[in-house]
Amino acid sequence: MMKGNKKIALIATLLFSLVAGGCASSTSAPGETASESGKDGQVELKFLHKWPQPEYYPYFEEVVKDFESQNPTIKIKMEAVADEPMKDKLRVVMGGGSVPDITFSWSGEFARKFVRSGAAMDLTPYLEEDPTWKASFIPASLQPFASDGKQYGIPLRFNGKFFVYNKDIFAKHQLEKPKTWDEFLELLDKLKAAGETPIILGNQSPWAAIHYLTGLNQKMVSAEVLAKDYDPKSGQFTDPGYIKAMEYLKALQDGKYFNENVNSNSHDMATQLFYAGKGAMIYLELEEFPTVEKSLPGKWDFFELPDIPDGKGNPNYITGAPDGFIVSAKSQHPKEAIAFLKFLTNKANAEKMVKQLGWPSPIDGATNPNTALKQVAEGVEVMKSAEGMAQWLDTDVHAKVADVYLSNIQLLLDGTKSPEEIMKEVQAVAEEVKQEVEQ
Amino acid sequence: MQKTFQNARSALPYILPALLLILSFVFLPMILNVYYSLFRWNAFSVERDFVGWEYYVRLFRDPVFYTAVKNNSLYAVISIVVQVGGGLVIAAILEDRLIRRWQSLFRTIFFIPSVISIAVVGLLWQLLYNPDIGLVNGALQMLGQNEWVHAWLGDSKTAIFAVIAVSQWQFTGYMVMLFLIAMHKIPEDLYESSMIDGANRIQTFFKITIPQIKEMILVGTMITVIGAFKVFDEVYVMTFGGPGRSTEVLGTMLYRAAFRNDEMGYASTIATVIFAITFALSLLQMKWSRSGQEG
Repeated sequence: MMKGNKKIALIATLLFSLVAGGCASSTSAPGETASESGKDGQVELKFLHKWPQPEYYPYFEEVVKDFESQNPTIKIKMEAVADEPMKDKLRVVMGGGSVPDITFSWSGEFARKFVRSGAAMDLTPYLEEDPTWKASFIPASLQPFASDGKQYGIPLRFNGKFFVYNKDIFAKHQLEKPKTWDEFLELLDKLKAAGETPIILGNQSPWAAIHYLTGLNQKMVSAEVLAKDYDPKSGQFTDPGYIKAMEYLKALQDGKYFNENVNSNSHDMATQLFYAGKGAMIYLELEEFPTVEKSLPGKWDFFELPDIPDGKGNPNYITGAPDGFIVSAKSQHPKEAIAFLKFLTNKANAEKMVKQLGWPSPIDGATNPNTALKQVAEGVEVMKSAEGMAQWLDTDVHAKVADVYLSNIQLLLDGTKSPEEIMKEVQAVAEEVKQEVEQ
Repeated sequence: MQKTFQNARSALPYILPALLLILSFVFLPMILNVYYSLFRWNAFSVERDFVGWEYYVRLFRDPVFYTAVKNNSLYAVISIVVQVGGGLVIAAILEDRLIRRWQSLFRTIFFIPSVISIAVVGLLWQLLYNPDIGLVNGALQMLGQNEWVHAWLGDSKTAIFAVIAVSQWQFTGYMVMLFLIAMHKIPEDLYESSMIDGANRIQTFFKITIPQIKEMILVGTMITVIGAFKVFDEVYVMTFGGPGRSTEVLGTMLYRAAFRNDEMGYASTIATVIFAITFALSLLQMKWSRSGQEG
């Protein structure tokens, strides 16, 4: 019997220490990072971004290495997860015990929800402290990361959406870039009559069509109404412009200007078809331009989403948004984190990024014909001269509203649901969100 | 010595580690999950708002919930027919004397799909189903069945069946394997004596094979049905619930609520309901079979 009791005691102690140890490490993590970094003034920063791909990752490795050699007391622990998992990972990580000090975030509502819950740090004082740093950004790139007049994020890339067209196909049918929507429709008709596929769309992941709607919403609805509706606290979505915007998109589908089976083709598949010359146009992001050049060297150009004269929105807006980094409110080393962000966005590193990765930079002058592809530099110029940005609809409105838009856009295109039906659902979910945010 | 083994107290130290682990990693989270479903919260916010049973009311009013339950049920019914029913027939054929010497070859061929990762299978089938370049439509055209050519995953009417079909392709071989193992245990003399009595193969299948492997059939059915209500990866990879919400299952609905819409409370509610459904189903099955130990 004695033996048995001893065994129980032994196992119980072992297990207890196991469980207790496990709990301790998970609950006291934030405190631990502080003590861990305490030895000989070493500071460790956790840095999370979304470019694990072999073509992009080395750039960040190099920048981190340079930074560490200039700042021997700071060590950076870098981690990267891909685009899609990032959306889920961030949500979990931001609530957990060991939050990265600097983390990637999309601008707009995606960052604002971290702001609302107090997980993101207000960076305004740091920007005010260093006016040259602040002035180095193209103003339109900072604004989407601001909330209630405070700056919460630092942009790394400055992305815009444009129609890319195949010059050979345009030349073959003597066509020119359209300026207005009517010219655009005329162009589409000519292409269709000539037996070409006018636009290639891969909407298996519905953000592709949502990007069309991003621009169309902005063109159809006035800026004030749009700002009010996209704010989760006051969203109503009752303006008739939203329905009209969807009708414009649906007209492209009903007019058979897209390829067949838009909902079963992925965006990657669509770009491949475009590169193979199977279509005249495709709606692409600025960051995709380098790949276009690789696949269709010299045979392409781009234009903006055409103007819609009867729309109430500002015609001088451009669809696009920056993405970049936010600093965790729980970070123990905000100063060091800012130092790293300043280093990452200094002109030399911005130019290096443009050159090495082909991405458009929000640093004024970094994206120029010497560093970037001609079209990328032109695209950034267009965005610089724009009066504002229509940010991606799926990251600019509350996640629940975005979800209704995203899942319904496929049904709009296959004709299952009408714009009116979809907007009713959007209005209902906006109302729900409003009540939840207010509480 | 004998006495020690009969003593419950001396058995305790042996089961205690497992018991504690199960309590803390299975039962505690289950109870906490129900508790969490009563709050409005997301993974990164500090505060939780108590909402009571509001999410349960909302769930039962949510039309997507019924789409999901319908899809899960379709999954279960089709999987039972194809994987359990079809698997049984295939196993019996492979076990037949005429074909038995090639059994290991066929067994391997049928089993291979179930060792491939679901993410890979999902992407593979996404391409196979592609309306323009996919093998499925290509094969149909080659057979002259042009009216069958279809955007399988892109049409909300066919998408769920296309996804379910992939699961059948993947897991029928697994069931075949389980049934073959069970069939190997049937004494050969049962078949011999029935043959002498003049039974044909169909009769021996229904009168000997099925009763002898009844346990395995029940276990197989249970695995399939519970699996059908827990399904997530295939749908997530191939359609993520789309087009629209037509292929939404409870698993993707939960994921969407938790990680896309920042509604952890609603996600917990869905998790509780999934648990209730699978728990009830396994209780039923265990009651019918009065066991569940074999396997």
